[in-house]
Amino acid sequence: MMTTHRPSIIPLRSLLALIAAAFLLSACEGESTESLPNTSASASSVNYTGPAPENDDVQAFKLAVWDNLATQDKCGACHNAGGQSPTFVNEQDINIAYAQARTVVNLDAPSQSEMVSKVAGGHNCWTSSTAACVDILTTYLTNWAGGAAGSVKTVELRAPAEKDPGATLTFPASSGDFESTVYPVLTTYCSDCHTENGQTPYIASSNGATAYEQAQSRINLETPSASRLVQRLRADFHNCWDDDCDLSADTMQMAIEDFAGLQSPQTVDSDLVVSKALNLAEDGLLANSGGRYENNIIALYEFKAGEGQTAFDTSGVSPALDLTLSGNTEWVGGWGIALGGAYQNEQNFMVPAGKAQGSTASSQKLHTFLTASGEYSLEAWVAPGNITQEDARIVTYSGSATTRNLTLSQSLQRYEVLHRSTSSDENTPFGTQDADMLLQATLQHVVVNYSPGTGRQIFINGEPSGDIDPDSAGLLSEWDDSFALVLGNETDGNSPWEGTIRMVAFHNRALTPEQIQTNFEVGVGQKFYMLFGVSHLINVPESYIVFEVSQFDSYSYRFTSPFFISLDNTVEPSNIRLTGMRLGVNGKEPAVGQAWANLDVTLNADDYEPGTGQLLSPLGTIIALEEGPETDEFFLTFDQLGSETYARSEPALPPAATPADLPPSSDIGLKTFDEINDTMASLTGVDKTQTDVYNTYVTVKQQLPTVETIEGFLSSHQMAITQMAIQYCDVLVSDIGLRTTFFPGFNFSESADTAFDATGRSQVIDPLLDRFVGENLGTQPADADIETELNSLIDNLTSCGGSCDAGRTETIVKASCAAVLGSATTLVQ
Amino acid sequence: MRARHRTRSLVGKASSTLLLLTLALSQASVAQAGPREQAKRIHDRIAGVPPSATVLNNMAAQISGGNELAAADIAMENSAFYDVTLKNLAAPWTNEAQSKFVPLNDYIATVIGLVRDDADFRTVLYDDVLYIGNPALGLPGYSQSNNNHYEALEDGGFSLKDNLIRVNQSTYSGLPTTATAGVMTSRAAARAFFSAGTNRAMFRFTLMNHMCNDLEQVADVTRPPDRIRQDVSRSPGGDSRVFLNNCVGCHSGMDPMAQAFAYYDYEYDANADPDGELGRLVYNTANDLDPVTGTRVQAKYHINSATFEQGYVTPDDSWDNYWRSGANRRLGWDSALSGSGQGAKSLGREFAQSDAFAECQVKKVFENVCLRPPSNASDRSQVSSMVSSFRAQGFDLKQVFAESAVYCMGD
Repeated sequence: MMTTHRPSIIPLRSLLALIAAAFLLSACEGESTESLPNTSASASSVNYTGPAPENDDVQAFKLAVWDNLATQDKCGACHNAGGQSPTFVNEQDINIAYAQARTVVNLDAPSQSEMVSKVAGGHNCWTSSTAACVDILTTYLTNWAGGAAGSVKTVELRAPAEKDPGATLTFPASSGDFESTVYPVLTTYCSDCHTENGQTPYIASSNGATAYEQAQSRINLETPSASRLVQRLRADFHNCWDDDCDLSADTMQMAIEDFAGLQSPQTVDSDLVVSKALNLAEDGLLANSGGRYENNIIALYEFKAGEGQTAFDTSGVSPALDLTLSGNTEWVGGWGIALGGAYQNEQNFMVPAGKAQGSTASSQKLHTFLTASGEYSLEAWVAPGNITQEDARIVTYSGSATTRNLTLSQSLQRYEVLHRSTSSDENTPFGTQDADMLLQATLQHVVVNYSPGTGRQIFINGEPSGDIDPDSAGLLSEWDDSFALVLGNETDGNSPWEGTIRMVAFHNRALTPEQIQTNFEVGVGQKFYMLFGVSHLINVPESYIVFEVSQFDSYSYRFTSPFFISLDNTVEPSNIRLTGMRLGVNGKEPAVGQAWANLDVTLNADDYEPGTGQLLSPLGTIIALEEGPETDEFFLTFDQLGSETYARSEPALPPAATPADLPPSSDIGLKTFDEINDTMASLTGVDKTQTDVYNTYVTVKQQLPTVETIEGFLSSHQMAITQMAIQYCDVLVSDIGLRTTFFPGFNFSESADTAFDATGRSQVIDPLLDRFVGENLGTQPADADIETELNSLIDNLTSCGGSCDAGRTETIVKASCAAVLGSATTLVQ
Repeated sequence: MRARHRTRSLVGKASSTLLLLTLALSQASVAQAGPREQAKRIHDRIAGVPPSATVLNNMAAQISGGNELAAADIAMENSAFYDVTLKNLAAPWTNEAQSKFVPLNDYIATVIGLVRDDADFRTVLYDDVLYIGNPALGLPGYSQSNNNHYEALEDGGFSLKDNLIRVNQSTYSGLPTTATAGVMTSRAAARAFFSAGTNRAMFRFTLMNHMCNDLEQVADVTRPPDRIRQDVSRSPGGDSRVFLNNCVGCHSGMDPMAQAFAYYDYEYDANADPDGELGRLVYNTANDLDPVTGTRVQAKYHINSATFEQGYVTPDDSWDNYWRSGANRRLGWDSALSGSGQGAKSLGREFAQSDAFAECQVKKVFENVCLRPPSNASDRSQVSSMVSSFRAQGFDLKQVFAESAVYCMGD
């Protein structure tokens, strides 16, 4: 994978031009060979009547740039013929306009053109967002460059300015300050759960040292409000106390501020082996090498604005289909919008679920282009917020919940597509399969393709889902041009989708699988190269460890694929050992996310290639964002780099806290299901595999007690035990051999009226007591008590007025047997 | 039928009344425990069934003579100790739902057999061992693709004490000897924890069942995340804080150890046999290259690779125990072992030779016999002493049963 993403380097003294390998994927028809996008004549277009373009490049300039900028609402009002220099939108001579434009553009790096930086600096942007103007302008210039023969896109890398990591607050070795500030709050409010008897982290352990050790990764001394301990209360409403999360969070934050106030800023530990420091915004070098296939893009949302209520369509195709954000929406760091569900705000007003909606007039653009081509690709980078939402509209071009042209929605772990065509019902979903679980609550690249030839296809992360559109080839001719484009909801607001959208694009041609794979591999969001200087540590001039870095989401950065390189192509490293590399942020090593802590590589000439360097690791990691990309300062530390070493030692494990005593529990308990069955079998002598008892046991098995806890005894247990006891006694008394052994001397043939005289009773009750209850056991009920109960029972059952039926005797013995066998004398252990 | 029904109703009423009465009576007399009462409780707790009069007398005599452990040994002579107590102790370890209501299987039988034979119980996680029913019983033979053998053994009511025989697992499972790892490579464990998924279940449930820690208790966010596979989202639902504060805590330690199971899978027909009753454990030997990974690593280890492409790509079954550093040092890993290895067998040994393993077995037995977890200083001290004894007695679990039963036999 590395070769696809890593740049090759052209040495230019201190400036390095990296040709992104992604651009070299000419087979994928990337931007370097792209044709011009579709553009529509806008209402304010200018009709050119001057001399013909002198060559193809002038023609390309006209189509890509001049046609778009010459209007009065953009640059045509000033930079026209006779107007303000440069007159790059000269409406009288396109060749003059071209020559003027060449003075303010850089076609090798369109984004760094003077024309773009001028607008970026606030010069007459024609939309409400400078960022949107910059993007649109860059798109125009990129399209021109793409059309110019032999154009090559490059990424330029420069050696960053050298600076050392700054001072920062660090955690003291002793837990004393912690124990006098934060710890009391934790033990007061968190000790019901976060102790050794409960769940990690043990931040409220009865042992202060343990709590300190566990709490450090959740405390931010520099920005106490950003501490996880505070955020869990303020943002997640995690077990707040006094029913007031803000107050709880404030209390925690103040305690951490007190703790931080006791510390003084420390420079980075002088024993550490550290690289030079970098800031992402200042020193990060743009690594977005392009390479996306966007030849037929007609609407594009990259959400770069980061503020305001508009998501700009930066496709450059007029009219701009800008979307208005409403309800529960937030901008996401690293480009994107997060859409949440409806909620009640602090003023008790209902904030509706978030959505981003375009006007029906501008949405008509989709109708115009897509019905004309008869095919489309809807491409999006989305992160579903969960996998439980159903009928949740991610992107829809529709009129109501039941009338649409096109909808991409989520149902549990399915992506579903509904579209209107001459052969498809607009409300019958076509989707991925539940069992495939292709939709996951993480960032995914989703493409919905439609062409009459292949029907609808869904691609997730560059791979086709394999689902076949059941409908026959159809036309989009019945699409309605009065519908609106909406992200994150239905037009009626009743089908909200929760999640994050990082990019949406409409293409008016179906992308090929190769193009989809290419776009997936390019990724989403802004990427940078960061070059951490290490020349001061090793004897290799202009040497750096380089990462590709991006803001992953609002809460973290992603660092990937570090490689070592010297910008001086005449030198190579020789046998330099590099171990235990960690990222540092704002003067300290974050505890979480150190994916290269176990790294152990040797930099040497065999593995090193001048111009491309030596790969250290193919891995990536995410590191928590602290202050934001404008402020956070990064550096690297090493356990060993060349002859520089740092002996890392682990603090001693705090002694385990003594667990709290549990409430006293009963000294006795119940027998459980198998124990009851085996007990009854062993007491009665009836084999547990005997058909009747086996069947009864199988029937009631799960109704019998399953745990020993005597407090858990239920009436349903009693019923099951009773059935078991009756069954065992039934088999015992019905089996002549068994009963003769068990009740020696008792005459089962005698009538119940006479069988239970004193002798008879003794012949029944004595064996029951001997066998079931046991002799001389103080823990069992007294024999006399049981005898009284049994005599009473027999008295009741023999009251048949001198005419007991023939089977009555057996029944009474069974009843007496079951009364003892199913009682606590055998049930309790 | 009508008459029979009436009779049952009559008997039921009578027994219910007596049940409640005697429950109260027996509770009232708990405190009066002499040798006979102690003997009965030891027997009840160990075997799950009451002793015969003769056994009770013998046990009481031993207790009176100061030989309480000998009394407990007598109780362990009862077949119900194996058929009921040990079976129900081990049954929840063999399924994800932790249900006791599962048929006898090779995992349970192997646990029972090892206890019966006074074996070093640590071998339960790494030996080439399996217990099967005695062939003389005429049961269906052991099968790699069904559980009929064990169900017939159980349903036939055969004493497990008398009818289990020890065999080499490799002979019956088809695994190479080096790929056997006690109960972890039993068919029942494979069905429960290797089917579908990513094989992390085997790690988690072994940790729960034999180290008495669920992932929640061992989560440590400070370990390097370099071995967390590509399938773990670094931004669940678009919020990377969840990963940085929760997911990483378990995955950073689990994934490098669960790598030991990279060559195992449980094959079954998910459509015709969704519960995998007829499935079988499979293992990629050096000659079996997975078509997806191109190595011996099962395809399930590379699934969802686009979730975080810069995550770890499993190349083999090497495992490393990152929890030998950080807070999980408290699990007491054996310093005589390296903390790294290849495959399930060495990982099983890493678990089994830890302090946590020994403590876990003792705690489980204590709770099983005393009907409560260790609850106070006295209980904890007893557990600690039993752990020492467990080690000193060659990790014989019967000794733990005996000592627990004596401790809880009542005063």
